Amino acid sequence: MDPLIAATGLSVRAGQAHILSGVDFAIRAGEIVTLIGPNGSGKTSLLKALMGLMPASGTIRRKPGLRLGYVPQNFPRDRSLPMTVARFLSLYADEAATRDALARVGIAERAGRQLAALSGGELARVQLARAIATRPELLILDEPLAGVDVAGEAALYHLIAELRDERGCGVLLVSHDLHVVMAQADRVICLNGHVCCEGKAEQVVKDPAFAQLFGPRVADELALYVHRHDHSHEGHAHG
Amino acid sequence: MDDFLVRAALGAGLLGAAAGPLGCFVLWRRMAYLGESVGHMGLLGAALGLLLGIDPLIGVIAVAIAAALVMARARDGRVPVGTAVGIVGHVGLALGFILLSGMETVRTDLLGYLFGDVLALSNIDVAEIAAVAALVLAASAWFWRTWLTGAINSDIARAEGRTGALADVAFLVLVAVLVAFGLRVVGALLIVALIIVPPAAARVFAATPERMAVLASLIGAASAPLGLAAAWWQDIPAGPAIVLAAASLFGLSQLAALRR
Repeated sequence: MDPLIAATGLSVRAGQAHILSGVDFAIRAGEIVTLIGPNGSGKTSLLKALMGLMPASGTIRRKPGLRLGYVPQNFPRDRSLPMTVARFLSLYADEAATRDALARVGIAERAGRQLAALSGGELARVQLARAIATRPELLILDEPLAGVDVAGEAALYHLIAELRDERGCGVLLVSHDLHVVMAQADRVICLNGHVCCEGKAEQVVKDPAFAQLFGPRVADELALYVHRHDHSHEGHAHG
Repeated sequence: MDDFLVRAALGAGLLGAAAGPLGCFVLWRRMAYLGESVGHMGLLGAALGLLLGIDPLIGVIAVAIAAALVMARARDGRVPVGTAVGIVGHVGLALGFILLSGMETVRTDLLGYLFGDVLALSNIDVAEIAAVAALVLAASAWFWRTWLTGAINSDIARAEGRTGALADVAFLVLVAVLVAFGLRVVGALLIVALIIVPPAAARVFAATPERMAVLASLIGAASAPLGLAAAWWQDIPAGPAIVLAAASLFGLSQLAALRR
């Protein structure tokens, strides 16, 4: 199966500084790929370069006519632009898809609210709902759940995995929450200006490059977490 | 009532109505600064038009469009883009003023270029403004959804392929054309007020972007007869009076907002 987006030798520069160099990347339908890495490691730049929002060298190939749903890291709201949640979504999707998406992220009762009046967590849910409502083949989410409470966060990551199963879409995700990432991702890419290591979560946490980037303590803790998580897949309850 | 007053009310009113929806986007996209600089460059355009011996209006339109397209593409470099746009606009204003004041026949009209000469509009001028207003309103309706998704979040719009170069260029060209024709009515120094004040007043009463655009058109159109009436009774300059009328409506809207 051809990838939805593939890049080879991707490099991004800002003036003299190299933000990304020599990144090879591909994502296929039905795959959840998570980018992790410290601040300034080029996660957002990689997403933007892949979407053509940022100049980059190297080659980027997209599936022709690819339908893409993007949730940016920041969504500045303008008080001078009156816009309800429902109207906002209706700019991008039909009414049925809008209603369904708002219900799935658990925010249907906010449909009549002004965007400017939403809390940070509510806005994050609305953003995710908007992207889902467009029925994308590839969801690109840049720290999509910032400001969402802990219980909501787990439920929404679960929803993302559910949508992948239902629709077979690809999901490319940037997240700082390593626990959730490790639980949901099919593939983890550890970035720090270049690809440090990549693979299944349980492989990545054991990689020396991962320990170097996040410190041995985080690596050990996550290795243990991933191990326990494996058990839950085999049907064991734990708690 | 005299004919010239009717022509002034029609010309300024049509322009105010046309500026409503477009002005909303100038507000939402935070482009008031750019609009102001385009207005200032318009003075240089008028001077160049006269120097080249063509209709000054053509000079204004050409320079305004070029300035809008170039300035909107400027990105932060060594000099922040807001600073650069401000400098370029004021250079245009200074240069235009110097060139115009060097022309014997024009010197008396200088105030007209700066603050408008709405009472001097001819029938042909009004017909031209009506055509431009129709074009601007039709284009605003045509591009509405595209412009709106771009104003809400341009990264999403670009990433998801919901906007294109055409929509962006069309917006800038229309703002420039509106500024160029507004130069006759309220002048290079005040034209941006006619574009941003009515939408700012409309915001208080609007829960949807469409309502805000329609209200901005109505407020912009109403400012013309209100300002002209004040100019007539108080014998004050007409262009600035129209801008003050719009600003008074804005003040009333803020009072209404306080009472809610």
